[in-house]
Amino acid sequence: MSFVSLNFESPTEAPIKLTRRAMAKQRTRERVLSSARRLFSERGYEGTTIRDIAQVAGMSTGAVFASFADKAELFDEILTADYEVVIAQMAVAAREGATVEASLLGLFDVAYRFHTEQLPLTRASIAVSWTRSDVAERRNRGDLLQIFRLLADCLQRGVAQGELKADFDAKLVGEIIWDVYVANYRRAIYDSWSAEALLERLAKQLRIVLAGVRA
Amino acid sequence: MGLRDEQKQATRERVLEAARDLFNEIGYDETTIRAIAERAGVSVGSVFTTFASKAEVLSHVMERRLGDLYSEFDRVLPYLRGSTADRLCSIFAIHYEFETRRVKLFLAHIAASFSPSNEPGITPFGRNERLASMLVDVLTDGVKRGEVRDDLDLSVVVDSLKAFYAWNYRMAAAMGSDATAMSAVMDRQIGLVAEAWRPR
Repeated sequence: MSFVSLNFESPTEAPIKLTRRAMAKQRTRERVLSSARRLFSERGYEGTTIRDIAQVAGMSTGAVFASFADKAELFDEILTADYEVVIAQMAVAAREGATVEASLLGLFDVAYRFHTEQLPLTRASIAVSWTRSDVAERRNRGDLLQIFRLLADCLQRGVAQGELKADFDAKLVGEIIWDVYVANYRRAIYDSWSAEALLERLAKQLRIVLAGVRA
Repeated sequence: MGLRDEQKQATRERVLEAARDLFNEIGYDETTIRAIAERAGVSVGSVFTTFASKAEVLSHVMERRLGDLYSEFDRVLPYLRGSTADRLCSIFAIHYEFETRRVKLFLAHIAASFSPSNEPGITPFGRNERLASMLVDVLTDGVKRGEVRDDLDLSVVVDSLKAFYAWNYRMAAAMGSDATAMSAVMDRQIGLVAEAWRPR
């Protein structure tokens, strides 16, 4: 998602014109990304090769490698693009909640809906997160930090509103809320739970986790 | 058992042992069936007549390890002492200590449980009932002793504890943390939840 303004009214600044070559490159990238997204969703991360992606995109493997260093980078690019969209929506939902519980549930409602819509890709992304390289791990930390910041903001507001104690370990609480949120995807994967069912379970878990830090 | 069955059993043992070591040394994705056969000193064909896939080999390796772990628990459980929280901390500490002996293998097992290619004949991580039933026993005992509220939804608590337990392995995956570090975090997490189950 682009957050750049599309307002080109200012007469002094002409819109930047992409050269034909740059545009062609951009189109190739997008074709690779959409083919890769489809294959990762259908076959998982391990079951997808760069060769398959190139074939579906109708280009050579060399052309794929001209845009992406390796399969891991390509996969992360897809996830990061998704995260940008979903984190922005999560932030909005969190601000709308009146209580800590409502904010957190609002934020995770967005996430559960988004990620259960594309469960195969979600499965693959969780699987990969357990065994990725240090480089990929660092690359992905940014997305996670943004989410933890959102959780910290919700908890902080709970303190400001007098719902939560002032002196609890917000980092620990944020982490375990995240743990139960992610772990619940197993229910979607193995027991076909819907986003609503996941959220209902999370609401019960949140009540238990927050009970220890209520003012 | 006939000679043929004995041979088959011996092949199975050798394959599982070789696979366990290779998965842990070089990683699950990097290990091929051919490499497993070579290390086990058997033919590639005989690996395939015993197991349907690499995923099934991993599943059986883990099942066997879990058997070892839970026979350790059968010995230890009667001796657990202290508060409900203390007992839970001990149970998880024993798990961490056991699984970090071959941490790369264990992380592969967790990762595989999210892989879309799960076939029948595979028991994925998180689907073993022993851990859940141990936790329920300890909590139920806590209720009897008046340490734990009797209107607590035990399944939600057990779910949450299992989530903390599993996700703390991220510390091992991302930072190479050891069992002591993970147990210390788990102790604090249990402490927090213990606030919620305290009778009031």
